Amino acid sequence: MWNYSDKVKDHFLHPRNARVIEDANGVGDVGSIICGDALRLMLKIDPKTDVIKDAAFQTYGCGSAIASSSALTEMIKGKSIKEAQKITNQDIVDYLGGLPPEKMHCSVMGREALDAAIANYHGQSYESSHDDGELICHCFGVGINKIKKAIWENHLTTVEEVTNYTKAGGGCGSCRMRIEEIIDEVWEDLEKCGVPRPGTVPTPIEAKVVTSAAASAAQIKSSIDQKTEQSPIYNDVKKLLEEINSGLKEDGSGVELDAIEGTDIIVRLSGPAAKGMMKTMTLDFITKKLTDGTGRQVKVSAR
Amino acid sequence: MDVYNLGAGSGIYLDNNATTQIDPKVIEAMMPYFTTYYGNASSQHGFGLPVDKAIAKAREQVADFLGAEHPDEIIFTSCASESDNTALWSSLWSQKGKDEIVTTSVEHPAIMQTCAFLEAHGVKVHYVGVNDKGDLDVNEFKSLLNSKTALASVMWANNETGDIYPVPELAEFAREHGVMFHTDAVQAVAKVPIDLKKTAVNMLSFSGHKIHAPKGIGVLYVRRGTRFVPFMKGGHQERGRRAGTENVPYIVGLGVACELAKAHLDEVNTRIRALRDRLQDGILKTIPECFVTGDPANRTANTLNVAFKFVEGEAILLLLNEHGIAASSGSACSSESLEPSHVMRAMGVPFSAAHGTIRFSLSRFTTDADIDETLKVLPGIISRLRELSPYWKQNKPQIKNLDHDFDENSTEVRA
Repeated sequence: MWNYSDKVKDHFLHPRNARVIEDANGVGDVGSIICGDALRLMLKIDPKTDVIKDAAFQTYGCGSAIASSSALTEMIKGKSIKEAQKITNQDIVDYLGGLPPEKMHCSVMGREALDAAIANYHGQSYESSHDDGELICHCFGVGINKIKKAIWENHLTTVEEVTNYTKAGGGCGSCRMRIEEIIDEVWEDLEKCGVPRPGTVPTPIEAKVVTSAAASAAQIKSSIDQKTEQSPIYNDVKKLLEEINSGLKEDGSGVELDAIEGTDIIVRLSGPAAKGMMKTMTLDFITKKLTDGTGRQVKVSAR
Repeated sequence: MDVYNLGAGSGIYLDNNATTQIDPKVIEAMMPYFTTYYGNASSQHGFGLPVDKAIAKAREQVADFLGAEHPDEIIFTSCASESDNTALWSSLWSQKGKDEIVTTSVEHPAIMQTCAFLEAHGVKVHYVGVNDKGDLDVNEFKSLLNSKTALASVMWANNETGDIYPVPELAEFAREHGVMFHTDAVQAVAKVPIDLKKTAVNMLSFSGHKIHAPKGIGVLYVRRGTRFVPFMKGGHQERGRRAGTENVPYIVGLGVACELAKAHLDEVNTRIRALRDRLQDGILKTIPECFVTGDPANRTANTLNVAFKFVEGEAILLLLNEHGIAASSGSACSSESLEPSHVMRAMGVPFSAAHGTIRFSLSRFTTDADIDETLKVLPGIISRLRELSPYWKQNKPQIKNLDHDFDENSTEVRA
C-alpha cells in the first residue's frame, strides 16, 4: 500500500471543491482515461480583476490524483491569475505534506490543468498555447518540453524520477535512452546557472609547480623508492635504460625508470614511443635488452 | 479498528491470491521444529534423526496432495519463483541444442521476466496469446512446439482472473512431441483437483503461502526420468537437486498445509464457490457499468475479477480499506508500472476498464458476513468515485464535450 501523508488521505477522503461550476469561464482538461488519470479544472475568474473567484475539479484517477486536484483548488482560490501561475508542482506537493516518488506526476498534472484552464480563459486552447515539442514518450504521449520543464523545476537526475513526474518512459521503455540525454542537456544549462549537479564532483585540477629543471629532476629521482634502489639489478637496469634513452632521443622520445619489483620493471615512456603501436614495439625492445643485459627474464610495463 | 494496521482477527481479507492466513494447525505443527528439534537433517546423530523423519513425512504429504507417484519427485525450494526459475534454466542446461521456450502472454512475472532475460541472451521465446475471456489459444500452442523446444511452460490457473488452462491436455500433447512440460500451479493447487501421476506434466511449481502455509517455502515437482540440472548447487540436499540446509519448520508446515488443503478442496468448490458467486451477482446487480473479466465458466472457485468502468482501481482499494476490506487491483497506479496489468492487456480489456479492475479472492476462512459487508459498502464507493469523475454525469457515462477524442473501447496505447 502506498504510504500517503495524512494530508493526502484527508484530501482524498474529503475532497474540497469536487463539483461542477456550470458557468465556469476557464476550463482545463488534462490527462486521459487511457493513461489512467484525467483532471478537469473549472475556474470562475472575475474578468475585471483577473481574480479566481471559485475553483472546482472533477478527477478520474488514483488517491493522490484526487488529493492533488483538491489541494490545487484550495491553493488558487482568491488568487489572481498572475499569482496562481507562480505555483509549481512542488508547491502542490509541499501543500500535501509530500507525495510518494512514484506519484509525483499527479502534482504535475494539477499544474498542467491550471495552465490549460487559464489558456482557456484567454480564449486559447492548451495545445495552441503550449508547444509540446518533439514527442519523446509515445506510450504516454509526452513531449520534450514537458520533460525538460519537470527536470528543470524539480532538479531531476534519473530516468526513474522523470517517469515518476511525467510518466514518460513508464511504458515500453524505448525512450529511456533519449530521456537520459535530455537530463544531461538540461543539467548542462542548470550547471551554467550555478546549480551543482548532485553526485558529480567538479574535476580537480592538480596544482603542479615546477620551478626549475634541476628541481624537477630531483623530484623524479626522489620518486624512485628505496625498494627499487635496493634491487640487485638496479644498477644494470639504470645503465641499460640510459643507453636505450640515447637512441630514443633521436625522434624526441624518452624512457625513465619508475620502479623495480623483483623482475617486474615499470618505466615511463614519453614522446612518439609512448603512443599506440610504437609503445608496444618499444616495450618489447626494452624487455629484450634488459633480459639480455641483466641475465633475468624481466617483465617491462609502462606507467 | 485501525485500518492501517490490519491482521488476523480484524478486517475482511479478500486478497487470498496474493497471500493467505496461516492456518493455526500449521503453526502448531511447526513449533517443535523451532524449539525442540533444531537438528540438521544431514547429521548422523540423534538430533538429526527426528528432523530427517519429519522432512520425509512432509514430502509424502506433498506428494499425496499432488498425486505424485513417488515422494522423491518433490523438491522443496524457497518459493514458487525459485521453482519457476529452476524449471526454465534446467530445461535449457539439460538439453543441449534446444534453445526455444513456449509459454503464454499471461504468466506470472517469475516466468515472464526470466523469459525476457533468457531472450536477451539468445533463447527464442514464443508467447501464446489469449482471447478476450483469457482462454488460451490451444491450436497456437500446439503449432509452436518443435524439435528445438526445450520447455513448454503454461500456468495451471491465472492469478488475476482465475482462468484455468487445460494443462493435462497440453502436457499430453507436449509428451507426444517429445517436449518437456512445466506448469506454474501456484493459483491452481488447493482449488483444482490435481493428480499428477495421471498427467504428462514433467515439472510443477507451487508455493506454501497461497495455501495457508507460511511465506518462504515452495515446491518443484520433477517427474522421475525428467532431465534435470540443479539451479542451486553446493550440497547433497534434496538428492542433490537443490542445495542448502532444509528449512525444516517450513517444510513440516507445508506438509500439514497440503494435508489440510486436500481435506478442504471440496469446501472450496462448494461453500467458497457459492460465496464468490453471491459476491459476483450482488455486484453486477447493484453497480452499473461493470463486468466480470476472465472466463466465468472456467475459473478457480475463489476468484472474482470485476472491471468498474470510469473509476480508477487504486482509489477503489483505498476506499475499501477505509472499511477494513482488502482486495487488489490490476490498475497501473496500484502497481510498480504505469500501465495496467499485462494480463488485462493480453485479454484486450479496454484501458478505460482495465484501470478499474478489482480482484476479490476468497479462501476457506472467508465468511458469509465478509461478503455481506463488502456488498453493503461497494456500491457507495463506486458511485462516490464516479461522482468525482469527469467521465460520469447523473448515473451514466459522460464522454461528450471533452477536449480530446475518447473511445471508451480503445485498447491502444496513447501515441
